[in-house]
Amino acid sequence: MRDFLKFFIILFFGMQIQHAAAIETIEILGGKANQIPIAVTPFDEQTLAAQKQPQKINQIIENDLIRSGLFDILNTGGVSSYPRNADEVNYSNWSAIQAQFLILGQIVSDTKSNTMEVKWSLVDIYKQNVVLSLVLKGRPSQYRAIAHKISDTVYEKLTGTKGVFHTKIAFVKKKAKDSYALYVSDYDGFNQRAIVKSKKPIISPRWSPNGEKIAYVSFEKEKPVIYIQNLVSGQRILLANFKGNNSAPAWSPDSKKLAIVLTYSANSQIYIINEDGTDIKQLIRTYAINTEPAWAPNGEEIFYVSDRGGSGQIYKINIKTLETKRVTYEGNNNLSPSLSPDGKLLLFISQKDRKYRVALQNLLNNQYLTLTEGPHDESPLFSPNGHMILFTYKDYGKTSKIGTVSINGLTKTPINVGSETILESTWGPITN
Amino acid sequence: MKKSLLLASLLAALFAGCSTTEVEPMGLNAPFPELESKTADGAGADLSGAEDGAGLDSEELAKLKASDVLSERSIYFDFDSFAIKSEYESVIAAHAQFINEANAKVVLYGNASYEGSHEYNLSLGQKRAVAVKDALVSLGVSDASIETVSFGEEYANQECTGSACGQDRRTDISYEGE
Repeated sequence: MRDFLKFFIILFFGMQIQHAAAIETIEILGGKANQIPIAVTPFDEQTLAAQKQPQKINQIIENDLIRSGLFDILNTGGVSSYPRNADEVNYSNWSAIQAQFLILGQIVSDTKSNTMEVKWSLVDIYKQNVVLSLVLKGRPSQYRAIAHKISDTVYEKLTGTKGVFHTKIAFVKKKAKDSYALYVSDYDGFNQRAIVKSKKPIISPRWSPNGEKIAYVSFEKEKPVIYIQNLVSGQRILLANFKGNNSAPAWSPDSKKLAIVLTYSANSQIYIINEDGTDIKQLIRTYAINTEPAWAPNGEEIFYVSDRGGSGQIYKINIKTLETKRVTYEGNNNLSPSLSPDGKLLLFISQKDRKYRVALQNLLNNQYLTLTEGPHDESPLFSPNGHMILFTYKDYGKTSKIGTVSINGLTKTPINVGSETILESTWGPITN
Repeated sequence: MKKSLLLASLLAALFAGCSTTEVEPMGLNAPFPELESKTADGAGADLSGAEDGAGLDSEELAKLKASDVLSERSIYFDFDSFAIKSEYESVIAAHAQFINEANAKVVLYGNASYEGSHEYNLSLGQKRAVAVKDALVSLGVSDASIETVSFGEEYANQECTGSACGQDRRTDISYEGE
């Protein structure tokens, strides 16, 4: 089994000469050469469920694995026959297309009980043996969920890390000048449903780490205020409506508190408040803007943006000792910080020459790397396993869209949720 | 001696231009005005937080409408800046005079262009609103007559390029009762 840690943690960055615009060399150890070559054969399925689906189960699995950036998905079109179970695998067919692994399966449906049974296997072509053989049962309406479950199981088996293909995202759609909505969908954009609709803007949606609630900023009262909405009950509370602006909600890792930004006493300052709206305490007070708080996963530090140095840069503060350090120095300004689940990488937007790009900084050695080209990328967040980054970008300078980039930088994939403008998004936690 | 607009903008520039990387807190334990949060009962908009002043009566409204300079309601700023440019000094001075004479209540709406994050632009818009507020206050307007609100980039033109985006870098002056 592959040691996935080697894959992306080691990022080399050539020395950046002061005043030079270009990044000289980036060598990502284990780039394209380390992608796992895998084939997903069409499943044997003669079911009604399959006929109604916009994508077949093998396509859903392929798209999941492609998006992760860690797999080289092989084209199965030239293979002469598709095995229905592990016994039918003709190994030479698959080694001929350079596959190391093969996913195959069979779906049988029982119309009387309205259930489907999916028998699937993961086969090692090099070793010529079966790695996994499992059975999943569910309703036809769970067709996509079952496909994602297969992707997650394969992902965890081959990389050692839990997959996120079963998770959800939430995003703000702007349908018109006076029509905004907050949607929840599968992480790939399917099965979207609106949970808030408003005539005024909604920004900064943030999913709680325990998955139960989403905090967001709404302008429905003609000024920015913060709501927390319970995803199960649909009920919401008004977390903060202090005089001035209320914005930038950031959940603590244990989902019990939020860091928020108020302009109560003039410019944006950062406070910490309980998730039921009680016990507010000011964390930072300087003459500058202090905004966009993001918690470190250990709950001890908050990273944030301040323009005390002249323009937005990222700093961090220890919540107990209040010791403060500047973190970013590259580019003209650096905004929108967030942390990887293991706390080792800082994700943010870096601006140089008026271009805004997704960037990463290794917090141990301060090496810096940009992952996208911009020019107007925004709101980057890690997937809950830290292997992908969700962000917003401008499509040909016009409509904003969301997409993912894999942590190794190899795969950028849009998330298709319709043609309307998407403002910002947030990613729900792993739940299996 | 009348405080000048120049002094106010110089002060603002001084704080903005501070290149120190050390934190200079205003004293985290300093006395702090009582925070008033509206939580589960979710009462209406906290918009008219301006405690002094009143809405305009019909005579004052007429005067407001008749004046050319008072019809200029927008102060524009440079990219990533909240410094008030000298070309707006006379507009601000005219509004300051009118506010005092009419004992008016104003709301200042700060805006930003779409470049940069939504949250940073919300803060930048706030700074632009506060910059105009400070300028009015330095000309004798009561602090409590003015409310500042930021819309950040939320009402900005998302498809502009180059100098056309300058339209969104502004603070708008709005009078209660008009």
